[in-house]
Amino acid sequence: MSTYSDASAAIAPLPKARRATGFGGVLPALAFVAIFFIAPVAVLLLRSVLEPVPGFGNYAQLIGSATYLKIFANTFIVSGLVTAISLLIGFPVAWALAIMPGRLTSVIFAILLLSMWTNLLARTYAWMVLLQRTGLINKMLIGMGLIDKPLALVNNLTGVTIGMTYIMLPFIILPLYGVIRKIDPSTLQAAALCGANRWQCLTRVLLPLAMPGMAAGALMVFVMSLGYFVTPSLLGGTANMMLAELIAQFVQSLVNWGMGGAAALVLLVVTLSLYAVQLRFVGNQNPGGR
Amino acid sequence: MKTTFAFAAVAAFVAVSVPAHADNMVFSSWGGTTQDAQKAAWASPFTEKTGITVVQDGPTDYGKLKAMVEAGQVTWDVVDVEGDYAAQAGKNGQLEKLDFSVIDKSKLDPRFVTDYSVGSFYYSFVIGCNADAVSACPKTWADLFDTAKFPGKRTFYKWSAPGVIEAALLADGVAADKLYPLDLDRAFKKLDTIKSDIVWWSGGAQSQQLLASAEAPFGSVWNGRMTALAASGIKTETSWEQNITAADSLVVPKGSPNVEAAMKFIAMATSAEPQAALAKATGYAPINVDSAKLMDPETAKTLPDQQTASQVNADMNYWADNRDAIGEKWYAWQAK
Repeated sequence: MSTYSDASAAIAPLPKARRATGFGGVLPALAFVAIFFIAPVAVLLLRSVLEPVPGFGNYAQLIGSATYLKIFANTFIVSGLVTAISLLIGFPVAWALAIMPGRLTSVIFAILLLSMWTNLLARTYAWMVLLQRTGLINKMLIGMGLIDKPLALVNNLTGVTIGMTYIMLPFIILPLYGVIRKIDPSTLQAAALCGANRWQCLTRVLLPLAMPGMAAGALMVFVMSLGYFVTPSLLGGTANMMLAELIAQFVQSLVNWGMGGAAALVLLVVTLSLYAVQLRFVGNQNPGGR
Repeated sequence: MKTTFAFAAVAAFVAVSVPAHADNMVFSSWGGTTQDAQKAAWASPFTEKTGITVVQDGPTDYGKLKAMVEAGQVTWDVVDVEGDYAAQAGKNGQLEKLDFSVIDKSKLDPRFVTDYSVGSFYYSFVIGCNADAVSACPKTWADLFDTAKFPGKRTFYKWSAPGVIEAALLADGVAADKLYPLDLDRAFKKLDTIKSDIVWWSGGAQSQQLLASAEAPFGSVWNGRMTALAASGIKTETSWEQNITAADSLVVPKGSPNVEAAMKFIAMATSAEPQAALAKATGYAPINVDSAKLMDPETAKTLPDQQTASQVNADMNYWADNRDAIGEKWYAWQAK
């Protein structure tokens, strides 16, 4: 009880204080970031250049080995593929959600969120059961006479892409929905009145206006995919091992923290650079020239 | 006033926490049915006898263990680890020396005893098969590598650990007593011949699922999983021909706050009765040589310690010394 009232008492005067001091208000947040984010990254950086011997040997080994380069390439190919497919599926869904009647929208949102809140491992195992050679999908396709030999849908790139796209979809639909909902439908009517056909309405009005949402969603999905572990580990084969799995191997099993740190830092640097690029990109595309 | 209060608070805290400390210890293992069995067979009788509560934690994570020891903040007192890791960590100074005045090692299988570790239970990689799904089950490692005679997918352990490389070499005709040092190039060449037919399992539950669903109707799996699979009603066949054994080990991380309790716990866990109880529950073999006579013959028959005639021992010391180098080559080959 008392904690609650204390908390509200502490929160209440905050807006005034922030306005008055500016920087002081963000100090706790900065301290939090420093302790829980910057310090561990610094330790990781140190380990990557100090273990097992001081120097840049770990990085040289990472970049010099065809295996590790292939794992980097796998990581980007899978992430790119998942992002592209998520956009292709997510955009029409977000658009439909934005123009649907309210009650139906909430049903679809409930489905989306429930799937998001279900245990990741359980969902991944469910896909494994569905996709395997003796699984439901293959049995159905064979039963319908469409194929006569089961398709290899799992333990390969196909399985990883299907599983990850499914898990990533909400992260692209939700931001897109937010942006699309804000687009004034009369802009499309105006375009049509000015003689634009459907394709032109889509490519010259709707897509540019939805760009910030697409970019934000795509970046989120791409970055999350880069570090994904469970789904690729369970649904993938070893030929498309991704970076997160390699890092887990270094840290947990081989107990080679120098290499693990180096790989993790490369991943972090790539992610941050992508974020910087995206900030510029979205800045230019932002409608209304804010 | 304030100081007095703080002092009193600290004193009260110490007073409360010290006895609690002495009555508690933490055991970390791999979770799932094995840890449930360890809790029932070892921890419960231990608490009954000594009054020391055993808190269960896990899953075991070597990265976490290393972090604890390095930071001097050890929260695990006894840890179930893989044998090759135990040998390596002991050499690297991350473990407490075991106190063999408390732990009676005269009854323990000497294959699984070092200065820093004793066996927890021992298992075999066997050739498991879902007999409902195929017309014939492979009997030898050579069969498992013969895609002409036994077409279809086969499953193997995904990680760099004793098991698969040994199986490949045995399949290629290397004699069991000439396995070490492992000829990695030869093993990978043999593995290349079936690479596109391999489905990897990364955990015991997955291997069971792959066999049960016939996604991969046969493969190299831990024998305990075959016991569990047979119990689930599936018609299984297990070939013990050249079963490759390795053991899990019990270790005490360096700097454990409850070393004394940890030694007592290990002494209890490795004694005949609790070892027999664990074996009965899991299908893995006891490392106490007196346990077998405490079990009914039906159960004892299904355990790896009854299959020693054609048993192949994975060399934990070799693996400990070469863990990193093998790991690097293993993952490079897998990713190719």
